[in-house]
Amino acid sequence: MADFIRTYGFTIITMLIAALLALSLYLPLMAGQLSLASPGFYAIGGYVGGLLSTQNFRDAVYGENLYPVALLLVEMFIAAALCGLLAFVIGWVVLRLRGIFLALATISFVEIVRVSAIVFVDLTKGQPGIENIPQPFPTKFGYIALAGPVLLFVMFFVYRLERVRAGRALTAIREDELAASTIGINPTHYKVLAFVLGGIVAGIAGAISAHLNNTWNPSFGTFDASILILAFVLVGGSRTVLGPVAGGLLLTALPEVLRAASGIPGLPVAVSKLIADSRLIIFGVLITLGAVAFPQGLITPEWFARRRKTDMTRAPEVQP
Amino acid sequence: MSTTLLIQNILNGIAIGSVYAIFALGYTLIFSILRVINFAHGAIFTLGAYFTYVFTGSRFGFNGILAAQGLPFSLPFPLALLCGALLAGLVAVVIERVAFRPLRNKGADPLLTLVSSLGVTVAIVNIIQVLVGAEPYTYPRDPFGPLPNNINFAPALGLDGRILIRTTQIIIFLVSILIMVLLTLFITRTKVGKALQAISEDTVTASLLGINPDRLIPLTFFLSGVLGAVSGALVAVPVSVAGPYFGITYGLKGLAVIVLGGLGNIPGAIVGGVVIGLAEAVLPAFLPSQYGGLREAIPFLILFMILLVRPQGILGRSLVQKV
Amino acid sequence: MSALLEVQGISRNFGGLKAIDDVSFAVEPGEIFGLIGPNGAGKTTLFNIVTGLTMPSAGRLIHKGKDITGQPPHQIAARKMARTFQNIRLFGNLSALQNVMIARHMHQRSNFLQSVFSLPPAPAEERKTREAAFELLDLVGLADRSHVKARSFPYGDQRRLEIARALALKPEMLLLDEPAAGMNTNEKGDLSQFIKAIREQFNLTILLIEHHVPLVMGICNRIAVLNFGKLIALGAPEAVQSDPAVIEAYLGEA
Repeated sequence: MADFIRTYGFTIITMLIAALLALSLYLPLMAGQLSLASPGFYAIGGYVGGLLSTQNFRDAVYGENLYPVALLLVEMFIAAALCGLLAFVIGWVVLRLRGIFLALATISFVEIVRVSAIVFVDLTKGQPGIENIPQPFPTKFGYIALAGPVLLFVMFFVYRLERVRAGRALTAIREDELAASTIGINPTHYKVLAFVLGGIVAGIAGAISAHLNNTWNPSFGTFDASILILAFVLVGGSRTVLGPVAGGLLLTALPEVLRAASGIPGLPVAVSKLIADSRLIIFGVLITLGAVAFPQGLITPEWFARRRKTDMTRAPEVQP
Repeated sequence: MSTTLLIQNILNGIAIGSVYAIFALGYTLIFSILRVINFAHGAIFTLGAYFTYVFTGSRFGFNGILAAQGLPFSLPFPLALLCGALLAGLVAVVIERVAFRPLRNKGADPLLTLVSSLGVTVAIVNIIQVLVGAEPYTYPRDPFGPLPNNINFAPALGLDGRILIRTTQIIIFLVSILIMVLLTLFITRTKVGKALQAISEDTVTASLLGINPDRLIPLTFFLSGVLGAVSGALVAVPVSVAGPYFGITYGLKGLAVIVLGGLGNIPGAIVGGVVIGLAEAVLPAFLPSQYGGLREAIPFLILFMILLVRPQGILGRSLVQKV
Repeated sequence: MSALLEVQGISRNFGGLKAIDDVSFAVEPGEIFGLIGPNGAGKTTLFNIVTGLTMPSAGRLIHKGKDITGQPPHQIAARKMARTFQNIRLFGNLSALQNVMIARHMHQRSNFLQSVFSLPPAPAEERKTREAAFELLDLVGLADRSHVKARSFPYGDQRRLEIARALALKPEMLLLDEPAAGMNTNEKGDLSQFIKAIREQFNLTILLIEHHVPLVMGICNRIAVLNFGKLIALGAPEAVQSDPAVIEAYLGEA
């Protein structure tokens, strides 16, 4: 077991983080808003975690001891609050925009955050970034034990959200914003709510990631990351909460599977390198394929509806 | 800032601005007809630079599957440029068939088309990386034959010091104006151009009038691809082909250009390009030197602000939603 | 008796085109008020102005004595004014039940945290919303197909579903935009009865755009006639019917 965690632990946590980031895009998408802003909040969350633990809370690590988990939770909370607040301010301003214009505004946000992180060296330590971020867990299993429940909680939250009044409002806005407003739903209010929730989730993921990676720099919040996250949701499914999670888990595991495949003895070096480097090519193809052929992604609401129907049409068992 | 430096910066700004403008014209051509953003334009831009490099007979470097390979013949630069552009144009036609037409036939949201073109770009850029690696490739020297590489304007303006303009920058600027004029004439005066305008208004009615969108739209993509490829190669001439990702950088900045100028507006692409080029070249001088890196964020700050204040751009018409 | 809704000098220009030209009238509580006129007369534009979808270029809207000009649609809905659309704007991919439940939005006071974590008063409110939605579906005869996607319903049922959704707001005033469009004579008759019935049952004031003149004549207390954006007649059905300006407007239509 310890061996398994040692080899695959990092991958597993990265999969969980990817699922969280996918959900951070899914939340505004529930209201029909395609926001590519998650990497920006992810980066900010990571900087909160990295800066607090290497500066303000530095004295909490004595010698060889581990960084207290309680402080990590504090960092996650602060990251959530900061990203939530920022998302609130930006959201009110930006969510009047529709469709492509909104997507472009969120792309700009990510680039502005990234460049700011490079330029404001006094705060962020510039391009090289923050180093030696302390570890709160002796093995990667600790991260799994943290990120796993966080993911489950967020999934539960989103699942419940879809089934209550606020979630219905989001769905109505997605289906027909104009009609939704005429039945008393304030579209901007709910779009901002979804955007803020998405920002919070991405920020929390960032705080955890900073510790996981031991370092944090501007390369963690880029336009490329926006594309990856988009692929998770597009391929996994954009209409139910399981979709983004499945997409995030699978598409993050995929390169590892490819890399393992490339280690198969007997494969020519060129082919195995090709397989290993092809991750982004495959993602690109999947995004285009997804957009063209399966815009609702792999896991659609129909999956669950179909199952219900078959249950009803199946004759009840007769007990002897 | 001395006058000399200011003028140099302004000229650099206009020069880089005309590069952005040429790039953006490809976006604009597609948007004005199909009302979608073809992010794959950045990939074609990159392909143009690489194809031209190949056609000049040069070899590839150490990385990638095609390491140390090269064509067995070499062409003079202008001819290589032409061949590279035509090949890139063909790629653009294939992209239209695969990533755009199915969505157009379904009447899909333009956002899905943008996403689809994003996927194509990521795939192509990384295929290039796998094939030839990410190192910079330089074109053969003196690509324009006997013309000088630089011209010093300072004496002409009666100033001391040097105000340099590269020959390529002049060529690019002139080419961008030329293309803008040709495109406008093409769309408004020629039969094909007017057919394209009809398609942009109402595809169904246009086809009822005998206009075949399935022939004309690939033509548009071909044109826009050639345009993108030419600009990609021209941009790479003075410096180098800086790795496949420069197409994505231009692709993103190009978005800022077209929104600033007005989506689908041909002169707007020039205006937007020059404004952003000037802003990038001139503004950083007013910042404290350690914040010089913010230059990279300038196009996106501009994009962000214009979206909030005037999303239709400088020359665009107001966007009204019909109920 | 003071008017429920007053339209005062409303004009709306689109570029050089005057879609609405200085229109004024008042709707009294409890009446069924008809708005008719040839195609393009500006009826739907006027509706859009009253319900906050479009800003007037001039004029004021007064609701129960308060100036509501320029308020956004969700605030108009909060003032208990609900509407249907000429082209039916149901949430097509959602079920009939979901469409009606969503419209009960304003009658649930719990915030999203209370709802997500099932804290009171959310669970009780969710139950109430479901029950109320079923009742309304029952009223329009669609309760047996509550889980069917809205866009799968036949046209007539979609219209009734849209009215049920509007009723879920518990409105005081209902604005119906061509509710009889696409119906045959029998269906129009049923619709007339239905409109009169819900006016009684829910104590509604109804503002109604309709193309089909006999239906309007049959149920409206008063009728306003628009032509080219101008109000050319206003009064009881018999008076309007014999008004020469009205006759000319309709006969002059191609």
